[in-house]
Amino acid sequence: MTSFPRKAAVLALTCWAAAAAGTAGLAAEPPSLRKGPLPMETSCVVCHRELDGAALEPVTRAADDVHFQKGLACHDCHGGDPEAGMDGDPSAAHDEARGWKGKPSRLQVPELCGRCHADPAFMKRFDPQERTDQLAEYRTSGHGRRNAAGDAQAAVCVDCHGVHGVRPVTDPRSGVHPSRVAQTCARCHSDASLMAPYGLPTRQHEQYQASVHARALYEGGDTSAPTCNDCHGSHGAVPPGVSSVANVCGSCHTREATLFREIEARKGMDLEACIQCLICHSNHEVKPPTPEMLGVGEGSTCTGCHAEGDAGWAGAATMAEGLGRLRRRLAEASEQLDAAEHAGMEVGPDRFALQTASDQLVEARVLVHSFDIERFSKAAAEGIAAADEGVAAAGRAFRELRSRRNGLALSLVVIAAVMVSLILTIRRIERR
Amino acid sequence: MMDGPGLPGRRGFLGWFLGTSVGAMCVSVLYPIARYVSPPEVPEAPTSRVVAAKVGDLRPDQGKIFRFGGKPGILIRTGDGYRAFSATCTHLNCTVQFRPDLRHIWCACHNGTFDLMGRNVSGPPPRPLEEYQVNVAGDDIIVSRS
Amino acid sequence: MSTALQDKTRGAMGWLEERVGFSQILEMGRHKMVPVHRHTVWYYLGGMSLFLFGVQLATGILLLLYYRPSSEEAFESVQFLVTKVPFGWLIRSIHSWSANLLVFVLFLHMFSVFFLRAYRRPRELTWVSGVVLLLLALAFGFSGYLLPWNTLAFFATQVGTEVAGAVPVAGGFLLRLLRGGEQVTGGTLTRFYGFHVAVLPAITTAVLGLHLYLVQRHGMSVPERVQARAAMPFLPSFLLRDLVGWCAALGCLAFLAAFFPWELGEKADPFAPAPAGIKPEWYFAWMFQLLKLLPAHVLGVEGELVGILGISAGGVLWLMVPFLDRGEGRRSALLWALMGWAAVAAIASLTAMVYLIPGSS
Repeated sequence: MTSFPRKAAVLALTCWAAAAAGTAGLAAEPPSLRKGPLPMETSCVVCHRELDGAALEPVTRAADDVHFQKGLACHDCHGGDPEAGMDGDPSAAHDEARGWKGKPSRLQVPELCGRCHADPAFMKRFDPQERTDQLAEYRTSGHGRRNAAGDAQAAVCVDCHGVHGVRPVTDPRSGVHPSRVAQTCARCHSDASLMAPYGLPTRQHEQYQASVHARALYEGGDTSAPTCNDCHGSHGAVPPGVSSVANVCGSCHTREATLFREIEARKGMDLEACIQCLICHSNHEVKPPTPEMLGVGEGSTCTGCHAEGDAGWAGAATMAEGLGRLRRRLAEASEQLDAAEHAGMEVGPDRFALQTASDQLVEARVLVHSFDIERFSKAAAEGIAAADEGVAAAGRAFRELRSRRNGLALSLVVIAAVMVSLILTIRRIERR
Repeated sequence: MMDGPGLPGRRGFLGWFLGTSVGAMCVSVLYPIARYVSPPEVPEAPTSRVVAAKVGDLRPDQGKIFRFGGKPGILIRTGDGYRAFSATCTHLNCTVQFRPDLRHIWCACHNGTFDLMGRNVSGPPPRPLEEYQVNVAGDDIIVSRS
Repeated sequence: MSTALQDKTRGAMGWLEERVGFSQILEMGRHKMVPVHRHTVWYYLGGMSLFLFGVQLATGILLLLYYRPSSEEAFESVQFLVTKVPFGWLIRSIHSWSANLLVFVLFLHMFSVFFLRAYRRPRELTWVSGVVLLLLALAFGFSGYLLPWNTLAFFATQVGTEVAGAVPVAGGFLLRLLRGGEQVTGGTLTRFYGFHVAVLPAITTAVLGLHLYLVQRHGMSVPERVQARAAMPFLPSFLLRDLVGWCAALGCLAFLAAFFPWELGEKADPFAPAPAGIKPEWYFAWMFQLLKLLPAHVLGVEGELVGILGISAGGVLWLMVPFLDRGEGRRSALLWALMGWAAVAAIASLTAMVYLIPGSS
């Protein structure tokens, strides 16, 4: 019963104010953590422990709940009298005269949570880093605006964070941990019947699952890889507007974004009005860029806007050609070095030299976003030169291997000749 | 067989054949050895110590990539001296570079930054860069694994 | 050749002859007779071992010219040797291949002597010194394996020295003696280098000298139930045949070195996790497989300890064979032959398990 963290107990003794207030309706201020029984010793717990089903659930999940761990109790959200009703008469605890509120409606939830979470003075007592702008952000979001307009279907705090058993975001079991965010959003956003009234698509999660970001997150275990909220925001969840897509992507892909801005400045035009990241890379289904995406062939994303004969068409073809050559040459070099190594040659130092080519490939692929043929070609040419050097090194290794085999053949002939002459000598000696 | 003591021609031939082939074998054994013992032109491979640059190669606030044990390293001249780190980003193994404008080590791939102590300060890199020791001996800046 | 030069040469030869006495040695060689019978072929294995040992000596000395025995430089110096030094790859590959062939030939030599029962009186000490030489060759192999300081060798050495640590009473001391500390480190490398190029060669020279002297003293043993048809002089007949074999071995080594150069692998990193597929050299594989097959506890004693004690006891028994096998007649011959075949079968099947059954190693 008293197995709460010591921190909670200390908090209970030192911080809880004596004043009793905020028991009627949804008060704007946070619960004044009054003196009284510890969270697990209230009459709420004593009675609900004996019940079952939905009435028991809040008690069984309490131990996992960060609020309980920090010293909050049932009545801090639900109201009522935690000391009354111990005699077996639940109506005393559930007495509206004593502040009983019952189950908050979905429309009330954001404000209820906001009582504490939007109060900096209150929250800083638990964590000086804690944000308190969630409610304000929420009000700007699609969810929040609909909630304010009286749409009880719109997502509220508990839909993502859970209720009774709320875990902190750092807990991997929490629905809002990076590894589970997409699943959490998908509970509603992949449900066609729920989305139909809003006319929203439902394939985002499916598309995201196929993306390079999801792969980094789920297969690579890289929790810094973006999931839904990294682009859409957490509490202020809205689709990024057309004007901010490049900023959203650019928060991680800075070099591409910088190049993009540079050309914008150079050409003196608002590129974003016509080109955005997602035109080529898609939004949810961001696939690893393929060679086909660049150029003028099948699967090219350039030909959507550029027509044969214009400068963009020619530029795309040039870039695709350069990138293709670098890629092929690099593959050829590493393949041949592999073969040389497989044949027993030591090519470690040559492999290091080849690193320049792979670095230049990365560089050239980034420089595609400068839409500047000259800059791109310089990087590509450096890479191709390094890859050529790798191919040449493999060639040298193979020539060396051939000369070794020729030397071997020669020496085997010599050795065989010695053996033959020795055998003939033995025979001659022994005939005597 | 026809040969025997009475046929000096055959005997002579056998002696010649034996002598020549043994001689050729000696050559084929001694030639590689003679080549082996004469040291190659290339200097011996740098090992755990490498001359990363010469004094004067770098201005203050300038960085340089050098080869260290088959992997890239980065040497930086800061206001108060030299620092060297592994140049392989701890995120996805891209090669990092020094950004004089930011006074940070920066990875172009996903905008990861490391401070001048090699600590990962922003972006996706999960770990600091491995630090190497730098010593200046005469004209050489020597980097070694600490 | 002009007569003057001929005279001079003859003079020089005479001068040397007077001081060294070649003709006496040659005469000894001519008088030393090698029996000829259906088992004569086994006599060549000793000479073959000696030749391969010579190859090891020569290539080993050459490798010393470039090798640097420290954890920082060992791998790089070997890499430099095989990439930059002309014919460095050849010398290193021949050294590695010849080491393996030598161990193989030594095993053949030993078992041929065993099955021909050539160890019997008065050749007991020849056998003992021979077995010691085989153990020395294994020690050469074990210490030399670590020297390139690559990952596989590093972890194989870690496992191998751990076995020494499991020896009762002296285990801790042996482990520290071998590793030069609690862990396999650069210190271990320096130590193994010392063993490989100084300690072991010194001991080997002495034991090999004794072995060769004893072989000379007692001559070739003719198996009991074999009638020697004839005999051939050691000089020139036997030696020339030896030379033919040695040439063949040299050709084999050159072929193996050119077509299957010994791999260098990755530089050892003591902090990296052990890679998959760490295997000791093939001639140790059967011992490791035996240790692995033993249950964790045998009659309350740790399985590994039982294995080590068992192998040691087997080794001592093997060393003492000439003193144990004193019986005459067919029955005892059969008994000893059966024991020998049992040993061969056990070693062969344990080795085969390591290499043929996937996942068993």
